[in-house]
Amino acid sequence: MNTRNTGSAGSGLGEWILQRLSAVYLAVFLLWLIFHFLSSPVPDYAAWKTWFSQGVVRLGFALFFVSLLIHAWVGMRSVFLDYLKPLWLRFLIQMLMGLGLLAMGLWAAQILLVEAVR
Amino acid sequence: MSDTYPKRPVYLNLLRIRLPVGGVVSILHRITGVLLVLLIPVFLFVLQYSLANNEAYVRVAASIGSTGGRVAALILLIMLAHHLLAGVRHLLFDVDIGIGRIAARRSAWLVLVVMAILAIVSGGCLLL
Repeated sequence: MNTRNTGSAGSGLGEWILQRLSAVYLAVFLLWLIFHFLSSPVPDYAAWKTWFSQGVVRLGFALFFVSLLIHAWVGMRSVFLDYLKPLWLRFLIQMLMGLGLLAMGLWAAQILLVEAVR
Repeated sequence: MSDTYPKRPVYLNLLRIRLPVGGVVSILHRITGVLLVLLIPVFLFVLQYSLANNEAYVRVAASIGSTGGRVAALILLIMLAHHLLAGVRHLLFDVDIGIGRIAARRSAWLVLVVMAILAIVSGGCLLL
């Protein structure tokens, strides 16, 4: 499968599969979300809070955020690989991107685990 | 070596390169992807704020309902829809659907046409 010697970088097959699996979940979840809000619009704060505090909704959002961050990581990585030629610059930007996405993941976890059920 | 071959033209002038339609769909997929990543913190902020308390929720709902909010929602929807449609096209390529030159060109045009219709319809629904 990996015919070139790319060392620790691997073949990229894992990233390729992650990109596609996350894409499928994101597509299905977002379409479901849009149809849900079109068919039953949120009337007020109480209804919004009640809907969002359900375990199944928060689980759906948790998987959504995990997929979103994986998808963003692999996608941004290919953009950086294409346009950022100096290795130090690419390393720096990808590092910052990774930290940024990690922070967003923790932020999302806080919303889903703490603020949604408060 | 360089004497035996005629000098080949190098078109790196972006204004002179005519990108094929598949290339247009592809670069828009990439641009919308980067922009959507940049919007993740905005989305998280709005979600968090809307869940905080009743006043915050009312403020968020009013912002989204305002003219500026509707325009922003429309732009977000267009970016998301293009990224999704072009992405589905790429996923179909992965399973060997529509990979011929003609078929690929046709599906690229299809993405752009569907996007134009979607933009007009959702623009009408959101702004009129």
